[in-house]
Amino acid sequence: MASLFSLPNELVLNSLRSSFPCRDQQIRSLATLLSIRGAPPRNIVLHGLEATGKSAITKALLEALSSGPTNTTANGDSEEEHAEDNLRHAIVKSAECITGRHLLEQTVGAVASAVGWREGVRRCDSLSQLVVELGRLFEGWTSDRTDGAKQRFVLVFDGIDNQREAPPTLLPALARLGEVIPNLTSVFIVTAPRPNFLHFPGVPHIHFPPYTKAEILQILSLTDPSPKLPEGAKDTKDVWIRFGSAVWDSLAKHSGRDILSIRSVCLRLWPRFIAPVLEGTHSASQFSRLLLANRSLFQNDGVLVPSIVADTPTNPTPLPSSLQHGKYRGIGAQLPYYSRLLLVAAYLASFNPPRTDQVHFMKAAAAKRRKKGGGTALPKGRPGVTKHRKISRKLLGPQAFVLERMLAIFHAIEEDADLRAKAGRGRERTAGAADIQMAIATLATLRLLVKVGAANAGDTLDAGSKYRVAVGWEVVRGVARSVGVEAEDYLAE
Amino acid sequence: MSVNGETSSITGFDASDHQPAFIFTPSAIEGAPERPAKRRRVGRTSAPDPTKHAQAFRFERLLNGLEDTECVGLREELFKRHWAKTEERIQSILGESNEDTLTKVTSFVQDVAPTEGSGIVPTGFIVTGPNIASQGLLFEQLSERLKTEVNGPVVTLRSGDAANLKAALKQLIRDATNQRAVNEDEGEGFFERDGRKLLNYDLEILHGFVKLHGSKRAIVAFQDSEAFDPGLLGDLIALFSSWMNRIPFVLLFGIATSIDLFRERLPRAATKCLFGAQFDVEQTSSVFESVFLKVIAGSEAPLRLGPALVSSLIERQHNHVQSIQAFISALKYAYMCHFYANPLSVLSDNERDSKSLLKLLQSEHLEAIRMLPSFIKLVENSVEKHEVTLARGLLEDDKVLLREVEKALDSATQRVITILRTMHVLSSAATGPVEKIDLYVRAFKGSLSDSDTVRAVLDSIKRMAPDALIAFIGRITKAVENGSPELDLEGWLGEETEFLKEITDIQGEVTSLVEEAVETGKPVRSQYAIHSQGLRTTVIAQKVQLSYEKSTLSKQDIKYTALIDRMSNLLKEYFTFEHPQDLFLNEVWLYDSLSPYKEVFTPGSRLAIEQSLSAPYHYLPGCKDTGDAFSSSKPATAILYQMYLESGSLINVSDIWTAFFSIVGGEESEGYDERTALMLFYRGLADLKLLGMVKPSRKKVDHLAKSVWKGL
Repeated sequence: MASLFSLPNELVLNSLRSSFPCRDQQIRSLATLLSIRGAPPRNIVLHGLEATGKSAITKALLEALSSGPTNTTANGDSEEEHAEDNLRHAIVKSAECITGRHLLEQTVGAVASAVGWREGVRRCDSLSQLVVELGRLFEGWTSDRTDGAKQRFVLVFDGIDNQREAPPTLLPALARLGEVIPNLTSVFIVTAPRPNFLHFPGVPHIHFPPYTKAEILQILSLTDPSPKLPEGAKDTKDVWIRFGSAVWDSLAKHSGRDILSIRSVCLRLWPRFIAPVLEGTHSASQFSRLLLANRSLFQNDGVLVPSIVADTPTNPTPLPSSLQHGKYRGIGAQLPYYSRLLLVAAYLASFNPPRTDQVHFMKAAAAKRRKKGGGTALPKGRPGVTKHRKISRKLLGPQAFVLERMLAIFHAIEEDADLRAKAGRGRERTAGAADIQMAIATLATLRLLVKVGAANAGDTLDAGSKYRVAVGWEVVRGVARSVGVEAEDYLAE
Repeated sequence: MSVNGETSSITGFDASDHQPAFIFTPSAIEGAPERPAKRRRVGRTSAPDPTKHAQAFRFERLLNGLEDTECVGLREELFKRHWAKTEERIQSILGESNEDTLTKVTSFVQDVAPTEGSGIVPTGFIVTGPNIASQGLLFEQLSERLKTEVNGPVVTLRSGDAANLKAALKQLIRDATNQRAVNEDEGEGFFERDGRKLLNYDLEILHGFVKLHGSKRAIVAFQDSEAFDPGLLGDLIALFSSWMNRIPFVLLFGIATSIDLFRERLPRAATKCLFGAQFDVEQTSSVFESVFLKVIAGSEAPLRLGPALVSSLIERQHNHVQSIQAFISALKYAYMCHFYANPLSVLSDNERDSKSLLKLLQSEHLEAIRMLPSFIKLVENSVEKHEVTLARGLLEDDKVLLREVEKALDSATQRVITILRTMHVLSSAATGPVEKIDLYVRAFKGSLSDSDTVRAVLDSIKRMAPDALIAFIGRITKAVENGSPELDLEGWLGEETEFLKEITDIQGEVTSLVEEAVETGKPVRSQYAIHSQGLRTTVIAQKVQLSYEKSTLSKQDIKYTALIDRMSNLLKEYFTFEHPQDLFLNEVWLYDSLSPYKEVFTPGSRLAIEQSLSAPYHYLPGCKDTGDAFSSSKPATAILYQMYLESGSLINVSDIWTAFFSIVGGEESEGYDERTALMLFYRGLADLKLLGMVKPSRKKVDHLAKSVWKGL
């Protein structure tokens, strides 16, 4: 008679451990819980932050365990008894399921192909149907087993906490599948579980903590950087690890601490870091000098933003200062004249409080126009008001404005722009023109103006619909100058 | 009293709302039960035949209906022929302009190798500039090209198609799977999996399709990426990235603003999954210029636009829209107007000779010719030249007129080509870059000789050293020899004799001067060059220096100065030509009418509504302008609008009713009773609401909020 409890083969675990370093404890716990003669519970919850190896380890372990019986030859005496043991698994990725129903269909489909079901599968659009379908599938599977052999099915729900359009009873219902269907273990992979989110007591949780610096460096040492140093592989590895440590300390410590992002940052910076060595100006042995020579690399946190366009060799990642200025130059130059003016008007409408409009834009008040708040001195001595005014309007971000107000501001600054910039050109009548409306609609399509409120509430050009400007001060100042308007003159603060 | 309770919504409004009763018109013969239309798109629905529509539309007979039907037909035929040719030319330019981008993107799609297991989706970012209208053409061409050259489905998604994730995926899958005709034996196997019918938004279907056809790439293009909801885009990208190990996705994004702005809007998780290359599309302005030069300025253009219209078109391009498509439709409209409304446009048929054209002309045509401004100019000129008999003959004798018309028609093309050649010579003679459109406008205004470009060229000659002058003349001869492919001008070396002979003469003399100078070792300079040098070099002893320089003008220098003067005069003469709009019968081939364009392409919709509400007597016959803003003869809506203008931002409905009734009602005999007045009041308010001017306010009970101000 086979023993009721036996741990999985050490060889399997060892190979897993070497490919997933620093996850020893998690692999062991999971293997104990999942292996067929281990201590199988009905539900297991794996939780931890992004890029901590939850899904990868689960997948690898399950693959190793389900092909287990053939590998147990090393453990000679148990071969006979375990030969008939049968562990199968199915993994359902919530990220690929568009709706709750899609998840159920995927689950049934995955299970059917895992157990080798040949007959048709019925539609499955509710949780109770899922239970029935799964029951049918497992019955077909377990009916042809031999006596004494154990059968177990592991169903993995990857990222189930981020399922789109999930019915509210989804998680508790899935947790109870094991009650209805024998020999089923459900594994839930989640980021951060709420307490008792399955509404089911006594579920084993395995935590995958984020890697520490030492662990990250250990994992990083497994990666081979692409241009090797001339000194050889050993030196390369040495410099690579020290370089990884420097990157962690300067850049990744504060943001992007997960192993994937630090690895990609390291790989991106590496060719530039060792460029002096390859050119022969520095030696790899003098690491601190190399570090000093490449000081700017570690001060530029622009690399933390994942770039989506390949860096061309002629145009390396621009410095932060040029990044700030050059970013929007294109738009300002490319937009037509009135669109630019409208953009400026929208910015003013977003950042000026409506009550100062009279000061800034009324013709009668033109003589009194003043910077910094104009003439509307608020009554002093009211603590609430002064306290409120201390927060700069710019820091509060763009406020929503009514389209009609923006149009009014547009016409006010248009005259100014005409006076300054269009001295030679004839004045065009823009009031009520369809071209202006078209320009507004175009700006809204480009999302330089963002509609506030429900997407379908009211027409784009309805006088009452509200907008917010989506470009910043730097851009608007440039755009305003290109049409001959000094935007500062009109800003309240 | 408020309109809050009214359930009138704008969406439900249609023409039948004002009918007293609903009239049922059965669409088919009774008894034949019609099949309900299929909800999914079944191939291409039978599009309305465009030819059928065109046949219903015919050109009108002009000249008070006296025009010959043959002429009418000819005008229509001319329009179709000319426009077809022009459009073909435009399309070929547009196609070429995108060619570069298309090739690059196609090779990117073919060559890109997805990195295994990283989940990074290879992506092409096509930066098109803010000209959204041209994105459609580009992506159409792109998808055509990719379909032929890449093995795999190509799907273009627009923001309108994709309201949410499910809809976007449905569209994607449907478009992808419709791209291959399904063979009988293959069946639509990919819609099912293990006997289970897949949901229509399941990418498993696409996976099956890709596997079945062995596709190497699955290309998804987002035409207007900015208009997509960033959250939706993020979801889609994450989904694609998760499927990367099974479906070889390649994404293409059409970006109107900039890549950085686009990246900032996307969620971080999505940007991590994207990596690729950027492609820049040729800028609208350069495409615009080449289209302009080819179809308006080009020597083969059947119809030319006048300077006023062109500058108005250009200004609109600069101020409002930047799209080729708008320009093309304006151009087409100009062609239509010309051939539709101008009876003399028959004369612009370049396939017949002038003799057979003249046979077509009726006496009404001749009468029309006598009304032309260019005819008046012709007669005035001949009177000034004391050719009174000719002037009289033109006015009275049809034969004389016909002879003159024939002469004008025969010379018209040559004259225009002369202008174009002059433009070309000028632009190649100029040292800096030249605004060619501006040049065209100036040339057709007849003010080319006054333009800055000409002045700059003439000034630059005066300061030229002999070598530079030789090179300059060389440039001009080369321009004459080669012609201009932009303008469809061929070289005209054989035709131009006098001007060319003169300048080659000058060139030869300058060369001999230079040779002499080399022998003597003294450089040759013109008087003007020395003068300017003197000014530049000396600051303190300016006078002394100048007189010194002048006194040492050598013989060669004087000779050279004379040559330069000759050259300058020659060019000045060459760049001066007759005002094209003074040429007799220029109306036949030159269209310069601004008002049809303005009316059609720059409507002032809001302005028109405001105008009609505040001054209805301009539009309604029964309404008189009494000078009183609140005259009771105005329609109810106009009266209410006037009150609306004078009220604050919140309007008390009861107050406005009282005011309205005091105008409309009253004890006089013509006043309405209260019930009728109330009905008018309701209708007026409903109209204002329909126009989006008032809406119920939540701030105060029984108040309306004013949402539109006049004159914005």
